[in-house]
Amino acid sequence: MLIRKMWRDLLKSKVQFLSIFLMSLLGMYVFVGLDSEANGMRVYEESYYEQNGLADIWVQGKAFTDDDLRKIQGISGVIKAEKRLNIDGKALMPGDRELNMQMNFIDASEISRMLIVDGEPYTPGESGVWLDFIFCREQKLGIGDSIKLKADGKEFDEIIKGTFYHPEYVYFLPDAAAVMPAYGEYGACFIDSSEYPVRDELYYNLITADLEGVDNTGGLSDEEKGICQKAGEMISDVLNSEEIVTTNKNENLSYQTFHAEIEQHASMTYLFPIVFLLIAILGIITTMTRMTSRQRVQIGTLKALGLSKRTITIHYASYSFFLSLMGSIVGALLGYCTIAELIIGMEADAYLVPDMSKAFSVRAFGGIAVSVAVSTLVSFMSCRKQLAPAPAETLRPASPKNLKHSAIEKSRLWLKLDFATQWNIRDIMRNKVRSAMGVVGVLGCSMLLFGAFACLDTMNFITSWMYGELNTSRYQIIMKQGTPYTVTEEYAKKYSGQMIENAGVEFEVNGVKKSGTLTVYDVGNYLHFEDKNLKEMSMDGKGIAMTYKMSRTLGLAQGDMFRWHMVGDDKWHVNRISAIYRHPTSQGIAMSRDMFEGLEFTFIPDTVYTNKDARTDLDGDDNIIGVQNKDEMMDAFDSMKEMMYTMVYILVMAAVVLGIVVLYNLGVLSLVEKNREMATLKVLGFTTRKIRGILQMQNIWLTALGILLGIPAGMGLVSALFASMPESMDYIATYSVPSVMYTVAGTFTLSIAVNRLLSGKVKTVDMVDALKGQE
Amino acid sequence: MPFIEFKDVERKYMLGENAFYALKDVNLEIYEGEMVVILGPSGAGKSTLLNLLGGMDSPTGGEILFNGHDIAGFKDDELTTYRAWNVGVVFQFYNLIPTLTAYENVALMRDVRNNVKKGSIWEQESGGAEVLDPAQMLASVGLSEHMHQFPSQMSGGEQQRTSIARALAKNPRLLLCDEPTGALDTGTGKEVLKLLQKESREEGHTVVMVTHNSFFADIADRVIRVKNGTVQSVETNGTPKDAEEVNW
Repeated sequence: MLIRKMWRDLLKSKVQFLSIFLMSLLGMYVFVGLDSEANGMRVYEESYYEQNGLADIWVQGKAFTDDDLRKIQGISGVIKAEKRLNIDGKALMPGDRELNMQMNFIDASEISRMLIVDGEPYTPGESGVWLDFIFCREQKLGIGDSIKLKADGKEFDEIIKGTFYHPEYVYFLPDAAAVMPAYGEYGACFIDSSEYPVRDELYYNLITADLEGVDNTGGLSDEEKGICQKAGEMISDVLNSEEIVTTNKNENLSYQTFHAEIEQHASMTYLFPIVFLLIAILGIITTMTRMTSRQRVQIGTLKALGLSKRTITIHYASYSFFLSLMGSIVGALLGYCTIAELIIGMEADAYLVPDMSKAFSVRAFGGIAVSVAVSTLVSFMSCRKQLAPAPAETLRPASPKNLKHSAIEKSRLWLKLDFATQWNIRDIMRNKVRSAMGVVGVLGCSMLLFGAFACLDTMNFITSWMYGELNTSRYQIIMKQGTPYTVTEEYAKKYSGQMIENAGVEFEVNGVKKSGTLTVYDVGNYLHFEDKNLKEMSMDGKGIAMTYKMSRTLGLAQGDMFRWHMVGDDKWHVNRISAIYRHPTSQGIAMSRDMFEGLEFTFIPDTVYTNKDARTDLDGDDNIIGVQNKDEMMDAFDSMKEMMYTMVYILVMAAVVLGIVVLYNLGVLSLVEKNREMATLKVLGFTTRKIRGILQMQNIWLTALGILLGIPAGMGLVSALFASMPESMDYIATYSVPSVMYTVAGTFTLSIAVNRLLSGKVKTVDMVDALKGQE
Repeated sequence: MPFIEFKDVERKYMLGENAFYALKDVNLEIYEGEMVVILGPSGAGKSTLLNLLGGMDSPTGGEILFNGHDIAGFKDDELTTYRAWNVGVVFQFYNLIPTLTAYENVALMRDVRNNVKKGSIWEQESGGAEVLDPAQMLASVGLSEHMHQFPSQMSGGEQQRTSIARALAKNPRLLLCDEPTGALDTGTGKEVLKLLQKESREEGHTVVMVTHNSFFADIADRVIRVKNGTVQSVETNGTPKDAEEVNW
C-alpha cells in the first residue's frame, strides 16, 4: 500500500518531483553519453592496436643496415624488429595534381600490420602498392588501377594491390605546416622495398620494434615507459651511435593524438553530471523536506498504526530512489543513443579507423548507482527530522518556527524600505534552502550558457591568435625536404619573405625525455612571439625561448638549464631558457638563426612566410611542396569548431532545461506556500499586478545573484575544459564581453519568462478557499 | 488481574528550566473487554494518557503494565511492535492517508504486520492473529459501497467509519479513540458510538475513549475523570446505556 501511496504522492506533486527526475536524467544523459563514447573509443583503441600489433618503439636514424637490425633483434626484451624507409613522397594524379603521400618501403609487415580493407594482403617481395582506404575512396582509385608515385625525386608506377587502415596512420597530417587533417587529399602507402625506384640507393631510416612487457592496452604505463626508454638506450649502445632517436607510443603523433582525444573526452565526462547531481540534491532537499513537513500528521498516523520507523524511512527514501533510478536509466539510454552516437560519428571522420562504435562501460552503471544512492541518501536525510520524534509529537501540528529578526531588520535602513522589499527579504531569510536552490539553479544555467559562449570565444581567439598575431604572413611557401639553403634564400628574396626552419627535438630533464618542436627564424616581421600574458615580446636573438606549456610539462622556468638535441643529431646541448613564450599548437623551443648557427647547426629553412601571393607563380614548382594561404589554414582550423558547436548546442540545451526545471519547480513550490499570504494581500486590497511585481522582484534578485556566481563558475568550467587538452595544445580560455551580455540576457529572459508564467496564477488565487482554516 | 495498570505515572515536559507536568501520580486500572471513557476538559491530560496507553509516547516516571508487561521503559522499536500487535487508534480527524482509497487505508494494516519484528511476546499472546479482510471490515461498518473512494470523496462520518475499520482490521486487544465524534454531527456521532460499543460488547475488545463530552459517561463500563494532569475519580457504571439512548 505504501508503494501506491508513493506513486499517488508523486503524481500529486509531479512538478516538484519532475525536477528530481529530470536532473537525474540530464546528469546521466551527459555522463553516459560522453562515457559510452569515450569508452567505445578506448575499447576500440586497445583492440585495434592489439589486433594490428602497433609497434612499441620507433627508432629513427639516417641509414640502418641489416647488421643494425640483427643487433637490435638480438637485444634481450626485443620480440621483433623491422626496418623500413619512411619518406614524404608524392602521388601524381591526373590533371597534374601532386598529392602528398607518406611512403613506407618495407621488407616485412609483422609489426604495425596493415588491416586490409580491399585487395590482397602484403607478402614480402611482392610488387605493387597498398594505399590508405580513404585516399583511394576520395581519389576514386580501385584495386588493379595503376598510380604514378614519386619518391626522393624519382617517378615510378605501381599497381594498387590493396587498401588498408593502419595503426600508425590513425591520425596524420600532410606536412609540417598543416594543422588539421583532410584525409583523402593526401595519403599513406606501403610498398615492398624491392620496388624503390633506384635499388642501389635504397636506405632505411626507421626501425620499429615490439618489446616484451609493453602491450597496447590501458595506455602506456610508467613501467612500460621505462621499458621503452631502456630499450632505446640499449639500441644506442649496440649500434654505438647517439645519432638515433627512439620514440615510444606517447611520442607518436598518431597514437598520442588519438589517445589524448579519448582521455580528454573521458575527463570531460565528470564535469557536467556533477553540476546536475548537485542541482538534483538541492531539488531533493527542498522537495522532500517540504513534503515530509506537509505529511507530518500522516507520518505520525503511520507510526501510531504500528509501522516501524525503518519502514516509513524506506517509504520516503523510495520517492527519490525510484525517481532518480528512472531518470538515470532513461537518461543513460538517451545519452547512449544520442550523444555517444553523435560524437563517435564525428570522431570517425577525424581518425582513420574502421567501424568505431560506442560502448557501455562499468562506469555507466556506477554512475547510475552513485546518482541513485546519493539521491536516496539525501532524501533519507531530508525526511529524518520528521521521523525522529515519538508519534504523539508528530501527530500534533508543528510548532511555529522561532522567528528572529535579522540584522537588516533591526537596522534603520529597514524602515525606509518599501513593503515589497521588506516582504521579499523576509521571505528569502525564512526560506533559505529554497532561495539557495533558486540561486544554484540560475548559477548552473548561466554557468552552462556562459561556458558555451566562452568555448566559441576561445576557438575564435585561437584562430585569430595564430593567424593574426603570431604569424602575420598571408602565405607560407613550404619547401621540399632537402632543398638547399641557397635555393630557399632565392624564394625569400623574391617574395620578401622570412625563412623559418621547423624541426623535431628531444628534451631530457631529470631522466625524463620529451619530444617537442624547434622553430628557427631568420630576420623578418612575420613570425611573432608573445609572453605568457600574451604581450608581444621581442626576442633578442641571443637566447633560446621555450613555450609556456613545454616549460610546465618539464617543470622548468625562465633561467633554468635544460638538455636537448635535434632529432637525427647525436649531439646533446645544454642551454638556459632565455624567455617563455606561448603557442597554441606547437610546444618546444624557438631561437634565432644566429643563435642556431652559433650552436654549430646549419640553417636549412623549410618554410618561407610572405605577404606576396606566390600561388600562381609557383604552381608546379619542383622545389616546393605547396603554397598555403592564411584563409585556407584558418578554414582548416575552423573545421575543428564543428565539434565545439555540437558541445555548445548540448550545453545551451542543458542550460535551458536546467533553468526552466529548477525555476518552475521553485516557483510552484513558492506559490503553494505563499497561497494564504497572497490571498491575504488580495483581501487587503493589493492588485494582482502589484502581487506579481513582488514575486518578480524576488525572482530578479535571486537571478542576479545566480548570474553573478554563474559567470565565474562558467569561467572555471571552460578553464578546466581547455586544461584537459593534450600536452601539445596550449588553448587559453577566453571570455568576451558579448558572451557575458548574452549570458546575462539569456538567463534573465528565461527566468523572467518562467516567473511571468507562474505569477499568472496569482489571478486564480481564491481568497475564500485560501483563507479557510487549514486542515 | 487488570488488563492495563498505571502506577504513579508521570509525564513532564521541560520548558526551558521549568518542568510542566501533563500527568502526575496517575494510578488507574482497566479490565479486558471494558468500555472506558476518560473524561476531562481541554488541557486536562486526556490525550497524553491516551498516547501513553497506545505506546505513542513514553512516561517520564512510573509503570504502565499491559497484560503484566511494563511498557514504560520500552525503546522505540519495542513500542512499534507493541502498537502493531495490540493497539488500534481512532482519531478525531480520522487521519486517513489521503492518497489511498478506503480499502487501501484498511489494507495498509497488512503492511503493518508484515513489517513488524517477528516472534515478539505480543505475537505469542495474540496467537499470531491475522489482519482481517479489509473488504469485510468496511462492510461491517457499512461502507461496502464506498470501498474504492478516496477520503476526499467521503463524508466525515464515512471517513470516521473507515478509520474504525482500519483500527479494527488488525484485531487489536486495545482500541483507543481520541474524541471520535469530535468532528461529526450528532446523528453521525451516534452511529460511531454504536459501532464502538458493539466492538466492546460483542467482540470483547477493550475500548478506551477520550472525550470532553460528559454525556458519553453513560455508555461506559468505567469512567475516569481527569483534571490538571491527575485522576480525579474512577467510577464504575453498573448499567451502561446503549449508545442509541445518549443525546448531546
